[in-house]
Amino acid sequence: MKTFLARRALTSLVTFIAVITVVFLLARATGDPLAELENDPRISPATIAAIKAAFGLDKPLHQQYLSYLANLFRGDLGYSLHYKEPVAEVIARKLPYTLALLVPSITLSNYLAYAVGIEVGWRRGSRFDSIFMSVSMFVRSTPYFWLAIVFLYVFSVVLGVTPLFGAVTPGRRFEWSLDWLLDYLWHYALPFTVLTFRGFLSELIYVRNVAVDVLGEDFVTTAVARGLPEKYVKRRYVARNAMLPIVTVLGMRYAFIIDGAILTETVFSYPGTGRLVYEAIFNRDFWLLQGAVVVLAASVIIVNLVIDLLYAYLDPRVRYR
Amino acid sequence: MRSARFGALGEKLGEFWSVYKRDRAAVVGLAVFLAILTVAVFADLIAPYNPYERVGRPYERPSWKHLLGTNDIGQDIFSEVIYGTRASLFIGFLAAITGTAIGTIVGLVSGYHGGRLDEVLMRVVDMWLSIPTLLFAVFLVAVIVRTGGIPMFYSVILAIALTSWPPVARLVRSATLSIKERPYIESAVALGASSLRIMLRHILPNVAPIVLVEVVVRTAIAMLTESSLSFLGLGDPTVKSWGTVLHFAMIKNALILGLWWWFLPPGLMIAVTVMSVMMVGRGLEMYFNPRLRRY
Repeated sequence: MKTFLARRALTSLVTFIAVITVVFLLARATGDPLAELENDPRISPATIAAIKAAFGLDKPLHQQYLSYLANLFRGDLGYSLHYKEPVAEVIARKLPYTLALLVPSITLSNYLAYAVGIEVGWRRGSRFDSIFMSVSMFVRSTPYFWLAIVFLYVFSVVLGVTPLFGAVTPGRRFEWSLDWLLDYLWHYALPFTVLTFRGFLSELIYVRNVAVDVLGEDFVTTAVARGLPEKYVKRRYVARNAMLPIVTVLGMRYAFIIDGAILTETVFSYPGTGRLVYEAIFNRDFWLLQGAVVVLAASVIIVNLVIDLLYAYLDPRVRYR
Repeated sequence: MRSARFGALGEKLGEFWSVYKRDRAAVVGLAVFLAILTVAVFADLIAPYNPYERVGRPYERPSWKHLLGTNDIGQDIFSEVIYGTRASLFIGFLAAITGTAIGTIVGLVSGYHGGRLDEVLMRVVDMWLSIPTLLFAVFLVAVIVRTGGIPMFYSVILAIALTSWPPVARLVRSATLSIKERPYIESAVALGASSLRIMLRHILPNVAPIVLVEVVVRTAIAMLTESSLSFLGLGDPTVKSWGTVLHFAMIKNALILGLWWWFLPPGLMIAVTVMSVMMVGRGLEMYFNPRLRRY
């Protein structure tokens, strides 16, 4: 197990370095990170030269790359031209909002998809099955942001039961921390529901198909033929064997929900890392965009590492390869 | 009399249809898709107005004159949605073709060549997949636009293509691995055929069905990515796709003003189109892979 862990951690590190190298090369291939400043006629060329020297942009490419790597591992992601503060600080401030949204959402949606998917697969070919499949197919075909817009329109504009934007009511002063928490949860409800609903229905089709595959196995037929109770077969034979393929795609799900967070947070004006991506585009804040890409990609790599370890724990065969 | 060649093709199509039509969802999907394709091709005949011109007062409500009202600068939203069909399908298809082509080449080379090259290419694929698709596409558009030279419209297509090839490469690679063990490949090698010739003449035709299904599925996914990019403000603002219409609906507060006729129809069109393309893809997959058929 130890060597497996060491090998897997090393692979993750190599992948991470590859990702940041690609990001660096792409970013530098496009030339000047200070182009936005240079277009501002109020800033003199001397100032720009001074800024360039301060950021080491006048050095040769390989030196820039090395200092970029060194800075990254020191936690320095560059400077946000819009926020006028280090990118790392901006992201650190916004990341908790996104994680508080993503982690419970991915947990709940996967749990629901697992529980319901096995049931739907069990009743394959029934009306129950076809209704669930059609609804999932449709929801999966809607753009993420549009689903968020529809939810926001129905619940906040038409029904008026949820707020229109933000994570807490702006300008409001909270006497009690419980007050803050209630206000936060009131804002949290809708983005969380959109992400979970969408995640649940996307995963559902997959779980259902895995369950149908397992149901086709001989050992299930044998179990049924032996006259074992339906519930027992479902739980001990089908659900358990369906677990591995579901764990395998968790990493993909996580990467996908980040895309969802970018769009959902934009629609709900939610102050997380996802909306930061939109703001970076809007304000042409290239370093901020680059920083967000690096941090989010790193989180995907870490999540994949954890899932692989979980997989090795669930399936001992993996450890001895 | 029909020529022999045409007859053979007709027979093939007949056989294809007899299998394809068994999946009712795939048939409905094909019908819906053909209808949408017709709208895209004849957009200028169907749309009552030119969507790029001001034809009414801003923010008009739906009426017989303007079926879906007008937007913030007095353009007819119904015509925008009709024209959007063209742009969205075109971008999705072109991005899917390009991405699938890249993936097919990488997969063929990686699978056939094997060894070190295969290992390196598959590492690249893994790395590529660890960056979330939309996030990567956003970054790529930002990068491509900064280099200049390529118009916004094609930057978006290129960015989507560059994010969509890795899954294709994986699929084609694994198919190539099994095909290259077949005896006729050994014969071709023994006869002195070059690697390029073997890949193009003997392996490619055998992976063609996979590639075809991928083009269809990737088109659906690319359309979704395009709409998201445009929505985030990374589309070409001078080309009306469903995503750009939604982008302007959002930033001009259609939501808070309750103008549902502005933001519901484009999204619904995306969903219906993507779903129909997906169903066609599934029908094709069932035709090519008999194990998936349910009787």
